[in-house]
Amino acid sequence: MMTTTSTPPASSPSGRKTAPIQGAWWKFVLVGALMCYVIYGAFFIAGGAVGFGHSGDPARIVFFHVPVAVLSYVCYAVGAVYGVLFLRRGKPLDDVKSASSLELGFVFCILATITGSIFAGVQWGQYWNWDPRETSIAIMLLLYASYLVLRSALADNVAHRGRLSAVYVLVALVPATFLIWVVPRIPYVQSLHPQNVIANPSNTSPSYKAVLFPSFLAFTMLYVWLLQVRVRFIQLSERRASRRAEQRGQ
Amino acid sequence: MGRHVHTAGLAVAAADPVRPSRPGWWRQALALTGKDIRAELRTRVAMSAVGVFTFAALMLLAIATEQLRDAQAVRQTVVYGLLDRQSVAVTGADLRPAWDAVGKMGLLWVLLSFAAFSGLSHSFVHEEETGTVTALRLSAPAGAIYAGKLLFNLLLLFAIAAVVTPVYMLITGMPAGTPGVLALLMLGGCGGLAATATIVAALAARAGSGGALYGALGLPLLVVFLLLLLNAASGLYTVDASVVRIIRDVGGLFSYDVLIVAVSALTFQYVWEE
Repeated sequence: MMTTTSTPPASSPSGRKTAPIQGAWWKFVLVGALMCYVIYGAFFIAGGAVGFGHSGDPARIVFFHVPVAVLSYVCYAVGAVYGVLFLRRGKPLDDVKSASSLELGFVFCILATITGSIFAGVQWGQYWNWDPRETSIAIMLLLYASYLVLRSALADNVAHRGRLSAVYVLVALVPATFLIWVVPRIPYVQSLHPQNVIANPSNTSPSYKAVLFPSFLAFTMLYVWLLQVRVRFIQLSERRASRRAEQRGQ
Repeated sequence: MGRHVHTAGLAVAAADPVRPSRPGWWRQALALTGKDIRAELRTRVAMSAVGVFTFAALMLLAIATEQLRDAQAVRQTVVYGLLDRQSVAVTGADLRPAWDAVGKMGLLWVLLSFAAFSGLSHSFVHEEETGTVTALRLSAPAGAIYAGKLLFNLLLLFAIAAVVTPVYMLITGMPAGTPGVLALLMLGGCGGLAATATIVAALAARAGSGGALYGALGLPLLVVFLLLLLNAASGLYTVDASVVRIIRDVGGLFSYDVLIVAVSALTFQYVWEE
């Protein structure tokens, strides 16, 4: 869908003058326009939903909460894929992409927790109910946090950082997988969340689809774009660090 | 140099490093476990550390649950300590519904998890600290090292669980349910705990920072494991639970063990090798 804009080579003198955002204006316009549409649509296109309060308004959070919650798992999957690629090929760029995706995943995970908690407070009367999905997202937050702890502990151990963090992501993939497919189905924990409402097309009205699908697209594009920016940022800061090390060495 | 005594058995086992065959691989893993057990019996660092930790924690628990035990006499009629919520309404007594058999099982595993994450990193950290890690790296393939360390941690955890669980049951009055199923549950629980603790120990030892990182990396991985374990425990303490349910719940627990071991075995070489 989007191609990474090629970064100018470090050696070219013109490379230093290029603004980092150059070439990204169309992403800005596209994601911005889509996001504006989603925010407008959430309040003015989609109607209130049956069964959500007397006005049906709490259901509008679906346009923000669900894409963000899905993304918080997608980010983990992408991070794990790049982790495997790094272990197989050993390219530093794969490690940077894996770490960036997991950092973004942590942010999306926090957003999903906050939006979900607000919804739970309004709809179910309590901000935290230990519903399986709430438990899952809390565990997911923990997994992300401990990844970031490992990453920061290895900050000056560059030789091992990539491999160790990739291995941790893969080991933590086991509980993460259980969170998505197993924990919500355990009879020991009962869910308040609507089951398969969005998966079944007959449950959503056309006005909801008209906002929800663009919302998924908008948040996914935002994620891809942020990932590119973050990877670029890490690359540039590493390049600057190595340039400074060279200058100090001379 | 006394240190080299530890790896002497391994060097013999790795007589043919060019073509490692399967029996050689197993013998290397067992040699490593044997060496760890011998070193452990000599110093008893891990065993005493984990043992004292566990019994201190048990002591704390016994004191902390003193208040909860008051309600136990009222509950004698309730089979297996599982609370019938309706009887609460009938008698009006405060039965503290959270302190049921499943809750006790959960607390036992919290205790065992903390114990595991207080001492099981020792086997890897010790190799790094004394510098025997390079000799170990040269004398056996990564897979054999992983298997050997996992086996050692598993045995240590079995020993701890075998001592702690009866004492815990005496203190808190946790019922045994069906003894065979309880044994299976403890087996699956120790397996998952040892497997998680082993791979995280390898990571933490390699990352070079001690205990703080070990707990922070390991405990988040155990939350889902504890959920599966409690799910199996609720089957164990349900009167007349169907065999299918027991198999499904305990099987779910074992599937977690198998997955963690599989992922660890696949990725261990990236942690271990230079």
